[in-house]
Amino acid sequence: LRRCLISIDMHRIEESFRGIKKAIQAKDTMQNVTILSPSESLHSIKPLDACCMTKNLLAFYVDRVFKDHQELDPQLLRKISSIANSFLYMQKTLQQCHEQRLCHCRQEATNATRIIHDNYDQLEVRSAAIKSLGELDIFLAWIDKNHQGTSDA
Amino acid sequence: VPCISSGLPKPTNITFLSINMKNILQWNPPEGLHGAEITYTVQYFIYGQKKWLNKSECRNISRTYCDLSVETSDYEHQYYAKVKAIWGMNCSKWAETGRFYPFLETQIGPPEVALTTDEKSISIVLTAPEKWKKNPEESSISMQQIYSNLKYNVSIYNTKSNRMWSQCVTNHTLVLSWLEPDTVYCVLVESLVPGPPRLARPSEKQCVSTLKDQTSELKVK
Repeated sequence: LRRCLISIDMHRIEESFRGIKKAIQAKDTMQNVTILSPSESLHSIKPLDACCMTKNLLAFYVDRVFKDHQELDPQLLRKISSIANSFLYMQKTLQQCHEQRLCHCRQEATNATRIIHDNYDQLEVRSAAIKSLGELDIFLAWIDKNHQGTSDA
Repeated sequence: VPCISSGLPKPTNITFLSINMKNILQWNPPEGLHGAEITYTVQYFIYGQKKWLNKSECRNISRTYCDLSVETSDYEHQYYAKVKAIWGMNCSKWAETGRFYPFLETQIGPPEVALTTDEKSISIVLTAPEKWKKNPEESSISMQQIYSNLKYNVSIYNTKSNRMWSQCVTNHTLVLSWLEPDTVYCVLVESLVPGPPRLARPSEKQCVSTLKDQTSELKVK
């Protein structure tokens, strides 16, 4: 990810997530199921695949999770929308990087992405969206870790 | 003998206190039962796994904390814990924590601070705090290895001028120059990790005096 430098205001995203964490995670009653399960997917990704994995996960959240989630609480909705907009911005930035062939996707990243989508498909769609939103801290911590040096710009 | 889940009030304020990955579950006694001989039983859950697990050392205990550091040592996983109160044959419902994520929630303890002085400067050497370990024989893991973007906020206080300033540093050595000779300076250091805010625990305040100015001493003679 460092070769494909993207400037992200991680603090704003993390702050938005902190505003929804308790409420969203409390709605997720299936503690025995995880979508971004640390051991199988994200934490087996090598630095070389970080850019592609970030691109895939941003698409997962933008194209599936944010679309499938229906939020009635206006305050939560505002924070979720803020996160979604930040992810859209990151996607645009990564797209330019992809065009410069700096964001190559290897089989490892493709497999890890498929595991996440499979986990998502095994749940009822609203529950899957809530669970994925509640696991944003796993994704954000992973971005932070793979992106140090520019995320606190 | 299993207790009967009755109207006994639940323990309150159940949270993890986590410092350098030493993860202590703590709670307050149920309200309105002062003087009653209450005991507690703890269980924990690894998010994504199948079932709640017992913590045998925290079954029918009278203290209001339980060390779950071993059970939550994989800091990239997430956890839940719960406690119930027991009084005689009656027990409360479970009181449960939110989802606990050690990697994002542990407090980073202060570094070790070594100071050496000169006439107009103080050299500061910082050693990153160590991750909690099960037993002393285990090899140490520095919190720097877990958080490679670990930084330090160094606060310096001139006790003569009452002036205070601070600097944020990433490396482990720092030289404070252009100081006043023969003056006591006090130093406090906090560890910082960019990302979600964490409670910070500053180091013990250390005070040292810069040396007397040798040149002015010679003139006097």
